[in-house]
Amino acid sequence: MTKILLIEDIPDNVELVRKALSRTGYEISHAADAETGLAMALDQRPDLILLDLGLPDYDGQTLAGWLRDEAILDDTPIVVLSAWPEEAAKQVVKSYRCNGYISKPILKINEFIAQVNSYIKTP
Amino acid sequence: MLPADTNTTIKLIPASQFTIEQLAAIYNQTRVDYMVPMPMNAARLAEYVATYDVKLEHSLVATTQDKEMLGVIMLGVRKNRAWITRLGVLPNTRRGGIGKALFGGLLEQSAQLSINFHMLEVIKNNVPAQQLFLKYGFREIGELLVLRRSPLVQKQNPIVADAQRLDRTDSLVLVGHDRGTQPWTNQSESLFNAHEVSGLRLTLADGSRGWLVYQRQKFLLTRFAFKTEAGDPATVAYALLSHLHHQYPRLDTQIENIQINDPHLPAFYEMGYIESFRRIEMWHGTLPASLNHQK
Repeated sequence: MTKILLIEDIPDNVELVRKALSRTGYEISHAADAETGLAMALDQRPDLILLDLGLPDYDGQTLAGWLRDEAILDDTPIVVLSAWPEEAAKQVVKSYRCNGYISKPILKINEFIAQVNSYIKTP
Repeated sequence: MLPADTNTTIKLIPASQFTIEQLAAIYNQTRVDYMVPMPMNAARLAEYVATYDVKLEHSLVATTQDKEMLGVIMLGVRKNRAWITRLGVLPNTRRGGIGKALFGGLLEQSAQLSINFHMLEVIKNNVPAQQLFLKYGFREIGELLVLRRSPLVQKQNPIVADAQRLDRTDSLVLVGHDRGTQPWTNQSESLFNAHEVSGLRLTLADGSRGWLVYQRQKFLLTRFAFKTEAGDPATVAYALLSHLHHQYPRLDTQIENIQINDPHLPAFYEMGYIESFRRIEMWHGTLPASLNHQK
């Protein structure tokens, strides 16, 4: 089963993502801070990481750097979830070797699912 | 307990009556819909309070009569100047005068301390907050940058120079005490209060020279203070940064509140720094005489 790790600290956003992806059959796990997110990513080796930039211990950029520093996660797509302006979000994606970004707030569920699907590698 | 002047159902309570965990929770909840929310756990907020001389006994939490937290504002105090920070109101209770009550209440707290010079920063394009501050007589001073540098950017060799690493004591001597007109986060006291402060001083072959003082956290370089003592600022800054990032190749970097007209800035961009967002710096009242010479 395709595994997605969501690293996000705001419970309402977690709920929204879970609900949106519930019909896809993906297995969703969740971490609410950067240190837990890193530990879970190493433990679970997810197929996709959805990463919020604002986290309470270390922010999403710092965590993206840690994730990319781990050889076993080198191929794992990391997609930033951000309300930042497009240009700033794109710069973060490039600088921290993420694979893309999805704008917050998530308003259109079908569009969100399509965006998530586009980052998941098919075997 | 202080009465709120705009809404009798709101109470303003000193933040010192709450735990740091409660304060972190209300602060985070007020920002869930911000473009740049910058949440903090209790440990980060405690460090913030200590580093920036935030006085919780003079900071305020807005609550309902039942003590349900609605918003927060904090006051930093250094000698005869103050800093207003962390203002936030829960999204579903905005436009009810809570922000105004908190802000007015905080200025009263500051007046009781006989402080009549205040600084703050507001995220650029947060128009409602900026309007509130203007209404209270704050004036715009300038625009500030928050910059990041990923440890994943291409590594560069250090520029050839006579470089010297500095320990905390020597670094803080260089920082000195004359930084009171800098944004609050970058003033001398912020570095004096911070842990793991070190520095770097170098002289280039052409005689250009300067220094850089910084805080090295577990995963992050931050809180930079720097000065070019001779030569072109961008050249000196590039050399300093090349040595710093060569020394700490695996650390992420975040620096806050660099003035947009800082002559060192081109070096940061050349070294792979990117702009995260901008703030507007605002001041209120008369600059204390002790700081006038620094303008």
